[in-house]
Amino acid sequence: MNDTRLWWMLALRRFSVMLSKELKQLSRDRVLLLFILYAFTVDIFLAASGVTLSLNNAATLVQDADRTAASRELLGRFREPYFRITGEALHDRAALAALDRGDAMVVLSVPDGLGRKLETGEPVQVAMQVDTTNSVLGFLATSHAQEIITRFGLESALARMGLGGGASANLPAVENEVRVWFNPNQEDSWFMGISEMLNIATVFAVLLPAAAMVREKERGTVEQLVVSPLTPFGILFPKVVSMTGVILVGVAISLFVVLIPLFSIPVKGSLGLFFLVSALYVFTTAGLGLFAATIAHNLAQAGMLSILIIAPMLFLSGAWTPPEAMPEWLRGLMLVSPLHYYLDIAFGVLLKGQGFAELLPSIAGMTSIGLLVFGGGLVLFRRQFD
Amino acid sequence: MSEIAIAAEGFVKRYTRHEAVRGLDLQVRRGELYGLIGPDGAGKSSFMKAVAGVLAYEAGRLTVFGHSIDSERSAEAIKGRLGLMPQGLGQNLYGDLSIEENIDFFARLRLVPRDEAAERKERLLRMTRLDAFRDRPMKKLSGGMKQKLGLVCTLIHAPELIVLDEPTTGVDPVSRRDFWSILAELIAEQGLTALVSTAYMDEASRFSRMSLMHEGRVLAEGTPDDILGRAPGTIVECEASPQVEAMKRLGARFEQVEAMGTTLRLFVPESDEASARSEVKAALEGCEIGSLETHEPELEDVFVALLGKETGEASADTPRPQALDAESASSEPAHSTGEGVDPQQRLAEDGSVATERDQPAYAIEAQGLTKRFGDFVAVGDVSFRVRPGEIFGLLGANGAGKTTAIKMLTGILPPSGGEGRVAGADMRRAGSLIKTRIGYMSQAFSLYLDLTVVENIRLYAGLYGLSRSERDQRLAWIIDMAGLHGHETDLAATLPMGLRQRLALGCALVHRPRVLFLDEPTSGVDPLGRRAFWEILFRLSRVDGVAMLVTTHYMSEAEHCDHLALMFAGKVVADASPAEMKRQVTEEAGALYEVAADQAASLVRPLREAGFASVSPYGRKLHVLTREPEKLSEVLKNAGAAARVTPRAMAMEDVFVHKVSQLEAENRKESA
Repeated sequence: MNDTRLWWMLALRRFSVMLSKELKQLSRDRVLLLFILYAFTVDIFLAASGVTLSLNNAATLVQDADRTAASRELLGRFREPYFRITGEALHDRAALAALDRGDAMVVLSVPDGLGRKLETGEPVQVAMQVDTTNSVLGFLATSHAQEIITRFGLESALARMGLGGGASANLPAVENEVRVWFNPNQEDSWFMGISEMLNIATVFAVLLPAAAMVREKERGTVEQLVVSPLTPFGILFPKVVSMTGVILVGVAISLFVVLIPLFSIPVKGSLGLFFLVSALYVFTTAGLGLFAATIAHNLAQAGMLSILIIAPMLFLSGAWTPPEAMPEWLRGLMLVSPLHYYLDIAFGVLLKGQGFAELLPSIAGMTSIGLLVFGGGLVLFRRQFD
Repeated sequence: MSEIAIAAEGFVKRYTRHEAVRGLDLQVRRGELYGLIGPDGAGKSSFMKAVAGVLAYEAGRLTVFGHSIDSERSAEAIKGRLGLMPQGLGQNLYGDLSIEENIDFFARLRLVPRDEAAERKERLLRMTRLDAFRDRPMKKLSGGMKQKLGLVCTLIHAPELIVLDEPTTGVDPVSRRDFWSILAELIAEQGLTALVSTAYMDEASRFSRMSLMHEGRVLAEGTPDDILGRAPGTIVECEASPQVEAMKRLGARFEQVEAMGTTLRLFVPESDEASARSEVKAALEGCEIGSLETHEPELEDVFVALLGKETGEASADTPRPQALDAESASSEPAHSTGEGVDPQQRLAEDGSVATERDQPAYAIEAQGLTKRFGDFVAVGDVSFRVRPGEIFGLLGANGAGKTTAIKMLTGILPPSGGEGRVAGADMRRAGSLIKTRIGYMSQAFSLYLDLTVVENIRLYAGLYGLSRSERDQRLAWIIDMAGLHGHETDLAATLPMGLRQRLALGCALVHRPRVLFLDEPTSGVDPLGRRAFWEILFRLSRVDGVAMLVTTHYMSEAEHCDHLALMFAGKVVADASPAEMKRQVTEEAGALYEVAADQAASLVRPLREAGFASVSPYGRKLHVLTREPEKLSEVLKNAGAAARVTPRAMAMEDVFVHKVSQLEAENRKESA
């Protein structure tokens, strides 16, 4: 089988020169390299340290018309980490104005007679106005406030009944004992850091092959390649392989330089499995980039098309909203987003320590969708030469 | 009012890395059509931009209409009196605006009063014959029409001086002639002064005076005739066999020797016809001499000769043919001696050897090749054949369908109809074995600009499956052939055009193809580079038996080809050898006569009315094809013109213009 051996030898030679060409070209594009490095380090660092989903130091204005021990006691309970009292509003209008300007997120008004009514056992209301422009934070502020006020009311009631101190412990009550798994301190930085890393990998997985392909189209070099003995697959495969390699290096940098040392992310599962899955993911997602490169005539178009492709992928990934919270018709769409599976797998391996067996359904889902995407991209790409 | 429109003394323009103009002196008088002629990188654009007041310069003096242009403010003072048309087809126009909208925009930008603008617009549209297309968006115009529109927009504010940067580059010869005659008319009518640059040497005769530029310096200045007189000598064209041997002998003795198809063309300096003949005959002692003709030298010959005098040597980056000899001798002993090369000897590196039976009679065959894009027929029913070892030229303007035809033959584009065969195989279905037999050099030399010279060559060597030792051998050969010594580790992006072109050729030749496709291989390259390039092609075809399909829009280059197909609007309108084509035209319309007169342009109409169908302005002269030279002299005398009529050798451009005008006339008749 001398012929087959010769064929393989030539194919390998072609593959290796194309691969080294791609890497050389990338290494000479300083701007792109800097951009990649920035995205995999600084950007992920910012996402992990800056973005948080919990309520911290919500600026709170108080309006105390009562000025009794009880009112001071109540207001005193609004404190860090959730709330921070920034001052007193002397007037309703001043309070509203502060809300309008965004100086305050919460305005708490205690009516005249709170202390007296508590002593006489009359029901009493306090008013809370919350800025819920950011619905998550608004919701958290309301529920924390609710909790503080309920507890204060309960304690006041017990005190009036003459049961001070630890009396509440003797009341019949159901306690909720919580165990936190996988992220014991519930650090947002773990979740945000990892999901940003996966998002960045996705963006480059689409963008880099698209850019590499369109550049050849713009420059006219692709014609030289088509005329040579290379097949369309032979043109495209080394590109995707080299870009996959670059992205994996980026992922490794963000894991070993940013996420693990700076945010102490535990790697519970096998890193080998994680990189294997990442390679598979990045490689197959390149199909979407080929799709963009086939349609686009120049780099600008390819870039814009990639954004158009990437945006829904990120929304439907489950990183921002868990699937259970989505409307049903969107949940179906999530099943076709490869990033959705990749997120599951990555969190599973890195935080939960899941192995291949547990992740099999997700890996199977990701692989089948990825192969479809890559196959589709390949068919489209070939068709433009026919 | 001063007689002088533009005066420059010791003008120097420096960019961070190189000196673009090194001490330029020139004076342009009012009412002159002044030409700057030189290849890319000669410094033409830099000087023109400085004249238009949009580029600062480093040293020297520059005055326009007596105003010294030395600051933004002083430039501002004369900007209203001049118009600038930058380089590039339609570069200063807006693609999505129609002809009329473009003109109106420039009129308003220049604050031309409404009535005046409307009146001038109509007149200019009529003169340029664009009035029938006034609603067509600029981007849908042909190259020639774009340039005419650019001229109209430059003239809408009635400037006294217009600066046109390479207005005819990339435009077909018919439109080019049209453009020049419109420009001549405008200058005569309105007393305009024009500073115009061009890279086409053959356009020189259109200028009143000119400067011949090279690498930021002026080689010669004066009227076209003055400059021709700077390098006296004679052009000899001869047929001698064996051609390669004759070329070698002549090359040893004379500086400028070129192969034009089957003839050799050389410049014999400082000699009249008789002595040139005898010198050439002496040099060719022992070769069989077929025909031998002598001509006056053309500007390009003078340019090369002057450059040779100036630098002593031709040019550092010009490869000498010896490089090719060395290669032939070392690695291809069988090929270095004779013309009869077995094309099958060098086959695919795939290791398989095709048998003699596979060898088709034609290297390239197009049969009824057609390509439609929607309703538009880019290539319509094109057929031609190229023999092994033949240089076949596909000649035509931008947009004539040359590139599309090549793309179909090489398998890049699928044809809508017909068939193209290369080395007997359809490239659409050809396997990698066939693909290793062809080489392709695409338009604008598509190299990887971010790779170095050596990396580019190694890449293509790898793609074609060359082994390491073969690769290194070819690498050395290409560096030699292309004169790339010392540039091995330079990025392709930093190479000058001439070197880039030869590197691209090297990459296309790395696997020793039997058939070579070259799409506009010489655009943007200076005459020296072009000559060196054609010499390489000549050797490849004659010594190595490579078949070549070359496209070009330089009419003068067509003479290098053994066989030509003239393309116009997607069709082949003539298919013959250059000599045969000229003979056909002479048969159809008569011989070529040049009419020199003071107001030559004004003679076009009386001549046409007198029944001379083929009259076209050529610079300040007229070119007339006729069988009745006596009648021509008579008509001119009757018209009261002191004209001189001289017979001239026909150039490819005359053939093209004749064929295309004939076709256009037929089309008009059909549609009428």
